[in-house]
Amino acid sequence: MLPNFTYERPGSVDEALEHGSSEGAVLHAGGTDLLGCLRDGVFSAKKVVSLSGLEELRGISPTRDGGLRVGALTTLTGVASDPTIAERYTVLAQAAASAASPQLRNQGTIGGNICQRPRCWYFRGDWHCLRKGGDTCYAIAGENHFHCIFGGSGCYIVHPSDTAPALQALGASVRIASRSGSRTVPIESFFLLPADDIQRENLLEPGELVTEVLLPPVASGTRSVYRKVRDRGAWDFALAGLAAVVTMPGDSVETASLVLSGVAPKPWRAAEAEGALTGARLDAETIARVVAASVAGALPLEHNGYKVALVRGLMEETLRALA
Amino acid sequence: MKYYLEWPEPDPTNLPPPAQDIEPWGETRVVGKPLPRVDAYERVSGTALYTLDMALPDMLHGAILRCPHAHARVTRLDTGRAQAMPGVRAVITAATPGAAIPWYFRGQGPTSMLFDEHCRYAGDEVAAVAAETPHQAILAARAIDVEYEVLPFVQDDAVALTPEAPAIHEGGNILGQETSGRGDVEAGFAGADVVLEQTYHTPCEIHTPMETFVTIARWDGNRLTVWDSNQGVFGIQANLARALRLPLTSVRVICNYMGGGFGSKLGLSKYTVIAALLARTTARPVKIALTREESFICVGNRAANTIKLKAGVKRDGTLTALDAVFLGSGGAYPAGATSTYLVQALYLCPNVRVEDNEVYTNAGPSRAFRAPGMPNCAWALEQMMDALATEIDMDPVEFRLKNIATFLQINDTPYTSIGLRECLSDGAKAFGWSEARARPRGRGHVRRGVGMAAGMWAYPGDPRATVIVKLFADGSVNLNMGASDIGTGTKTVMAMVVAEELGVPLDRIQIEHADTGTTQNAPSSGGSQTVLVSAPAVRAAAIEVKRQLLELAAAQLERPVEQLVFQDGEIMPADAPDQAVALADLRGLRGRQVIVGVGRRHPHPEGKIALPFAAQFAEVEVNILTGEVRVLRLVAAHDSGRVMNKLTYENQVFGGMAMGIGLGLTEERILDSRQTGKVVNANWHDYKIPTAKDVPIDQTCVPIDPHDTECNTTGAKGLGEPAHIPTAAAIANAVYHATGVRVTDAPITRGRMLSALAERRGE
Repeated sequence: MLPNFTYERPGSVDEALEHGSSEGAVLHAGGTDLLGCLRDGVFSAKKVVSLSGLEELRGISPTRDGGLRVGALTTLTGVASDPTIAERYTVLAQAAASAASPQLRNQGTIGGNICQRPRCWYFRGDWHCLRKGGDTCYAIAGENHFHCIFGGSGCYIVHPSDTAPALQALGASVRIASRSGSRTVPIESFFLLPADDIQRENLLEPGELVTEVLLPPVASGTRSVYRKVRDRGAWDFALAGLAAVVTMPGDSVETASLVLSGVAPKPWRAAEAEGALTGARLDAETIARVVAASVAGALPLEHNGYKVALVRGLMEETLRALA
Repeated sequence: MKYYLEWPEPDPTNLPPPAQDIEPWGETRVVGKPLPRVDAYERVSGTALYTLDMALPDMLHGAILRCPHAHARVTRLDTGRAQAMPGVRAVITAATPGAAIPWYFRGQGPTSMLFDEHCRYAGDEVAAVAAETPHQAILAARAIDVEYEVLPFVQDDAVALTPEAPAIHEGGNILGQETSGRGDVEAGFAGADVVLEQTYHTPCEIHTPMETFVTIARWDGNRLTVWDSNQGVFGIQANLARALRLPLTSVRVICNYMGGGFGSKLGLSKYTVIAALLARTTARPVKIALTREESFICVGNRAANTIKLKAGVKRDGTLTALDAVFLGSGGAYPAGATSTYLVQALYLCPNVRVEDNEVYTNAGPSRAFRAPGMPNCAWALEQMMDALATEIDMDPVEFRLKNIATFLQINDTPYTSIGLRECLSDGAKAFGWSEARARPRGRGHVRRGVGMAAGMWAYPGDPRATVIVKLFADGSVNLNMGASDIGTGTKTVMAMVVAEELGVPLDRIQIEHADTGTTQNAPSSGGSQTVLVSAPAVRAAAIEVKRQLLELAAAQLERPVEQLVFQDGEIMPADAPDQAVALADLRGLRGRQVIVGVGRRHPHPEGKIALPFAAQFAEVEVNILTGEVRVLRLVAAHDSGRVMNKLTYENQVFGGMAMGIGLGLTEERILDSRQTGKVVNANWHDYKIPTAKDVPIDQTCVPIDPHDTECNTTGAKGLGEPAHIPTAAAIANAVYHATGVRVTDAPITRGRMLSALAERRGE
């Protein structure tokens, strides 16, 4: 049941920021996540500020440096079907296309997708958990089949976004507006771990708004792919996924960006795996080393040990396909 | 153990004798065709009015307060704050006069009260509110102040059996323990060349029908009318009348369009009684629509099963012994958990022992769920059959063909017909079994495999049904039947029976159904009995109309009835078709304006039993790096007797198999058993029913019709449940064929598949 709230539909970013700064205000982009959270009482709102009137936050356009600017209100369908993204930023198009269901992708936005709240069933259900200001993480001793194997501490959520790891692998940044101005943050440092802040998944302060996602130019010869494994074919979050962006001008890998979804409270860069891959020939021996390195430091919980095998499998399958 | 039937078991000695001597059909002209549903336009255009869509003038909305603890006792309850909230018109609790209603599960009991101070699972009903809006009702229910004494709870079936476990009912947690069988299993194992033993587990599944659970109750003086989404208005009426101590004539239950139940809407639910009480208290109609989350928690499920199965076989493929121990929990009340039937009946085996253990746990009560207990039992038995076939190096189809039972071994009753042999052989042929079995399974990380499983259904139906067919002066027809159409096409099939007999086009048949105030008693739509019980009654009623029409025509044409032929809505002398009279031109019909035919279902054949059989085949692809299992194609060969409508037949089969993919690969209720005892995945995202992407496009339905002239006057044997029984096991066998890994715990999630693969590699 939705709580009572007031509703605003501002016509400009400034006006939206004004409303968004008031106490208890929440921003409403596609609403596919927000309305569910409000209905389920995950958090409450006194004021819902709709962003649907902000035309300037929609659309995809080239930037002067040869990259792309994706307005935060661009739908996931818009991202997935954009020809430039599909051709040059394939990993992002594939990630957007793999999210949720067609209806949800038509409604959900790229800005909302990276800012969505975690799907941990204790967080979403009527358990007063740590992330909601309680004093217990129920996942530790409970049903943790879908929880993290990296980066957990106190809380063991996984970050639910498919597009976020793709953006991170591409080296994207986000532009954040507030009443005091705007700033651009590399997406790598946008997300937080529970150790940074147990109640927030990113560094947005109240009253701040993601206005656009900035994609850097891609080097020619870059190959990228997003591979997602889920329990059913659609409308499901990643058990684990891999966003891989690799440049390989000759026989050897020049640069490699390997970012995992579904295994950590934020998009998880498999740094040791990247190290093992960079500069190496993409042969069986390298693949074996990268696969082993990809799960270095994994700390599975009672019911999610399969994710270690899954990450290894994803890495092996993806690298074999790139070889 | 006898499985839970939520409708009364018929007493065959008191059934009325057949009213007419009706010959079985030979070739049919309408029945069997792939005709679209008579209500297809209404259903797809959104004009069909489901109970959930309905609103009555002046209607209030109800909400139920449920216990948040897995096991607790209500020690104090204060409704003061709730009563004072805006829009609230009534708050009822156990203390409300008239609300102390004893509650029965599966006809047993009473085991609790409508509102019981002893709450045995997180979701038990504590109090209820009626208010002007749904929002106000929910807020008020939350404002009821309750103090609970929280008790220790148990949710593990095996732990619940131990003496140390908290007692859920007086007298402990053992609901039933029963051993049955035949022969001497030890001697059977001693005579076997191969003996295998394996423990299998199936999950608790939730029905989660598209239309949630909803009732609207309205009183007119002492008479109650209930619009209710259910699978059988007469069963609901009888139980509601009993709960409220009213005569049947004072309780009218109506369910026109119905948005799915799968068994969960067979029995009377507490919310229906609560709506009636709230409506009586407020003297206004009250609607209670459960939330999607409530539909996962408190209106039934398929109980999880643990099945330990030991089987012996000779090298030549002869089964020598089956020994099975079942453990299951229908939750906190006597609601049914297991079915040992397939082990006892599907294959010819002289030595069988089944031990059945049913136990209480602090979890939501189960309810009949599409072939109760049977897909679980097939999961174990059919994987065991597959493993035995491997051990003796025999083809799984051939192995099953060798062990077909031609009679029901449980009580030595012959079948009216058995098409299992054809299901196996024709199904295998349609699938291309031998070729597919021999194809390479792949050396890379994506492996292919094929598997199959067989099954049968156990219930011959409650043969008590009365139907009225009225033919009007213009030759159009009213079909008045009590049966529900729960989405399966009942209305269409029954109209086709009328069209077959009377030659009336389907669009000139009006259907009135599932209303205890205007239609006649029929069994609930459950147990795969609707067609095989109600269609013969419809046929009898139509034939009775025809008989009367022929008499009218005989008078008009001045010919004896024996010389007349009824064809395509006309009556003519057999030797003078040019003298044909259209029904609308029958003077006797014009004089009467209506002909009324009453038809009753005939009793079951004496000394025989009519049951359907099935064999299904699956091809899968398994990614051994990621654990992904993809079902590539399915073939279903069913002996459900006559095909009444090819389209609705295929719908049933494909729907049953989609549900089987859920059991095999994705669906599983998960309880927070070690902390709070609540369901963690009570929603459509976390509880994963298959999507269109999980169900293959390549599905084939192979109907097997043994031309059964004994089962009933239509030759149809029931299809809804058998369609679901073998699917999951066939998929598991295909997974084994693809990978060499046997996954004994359903569903085969990516995680379970990966863990099983790792275990085989010795990791």
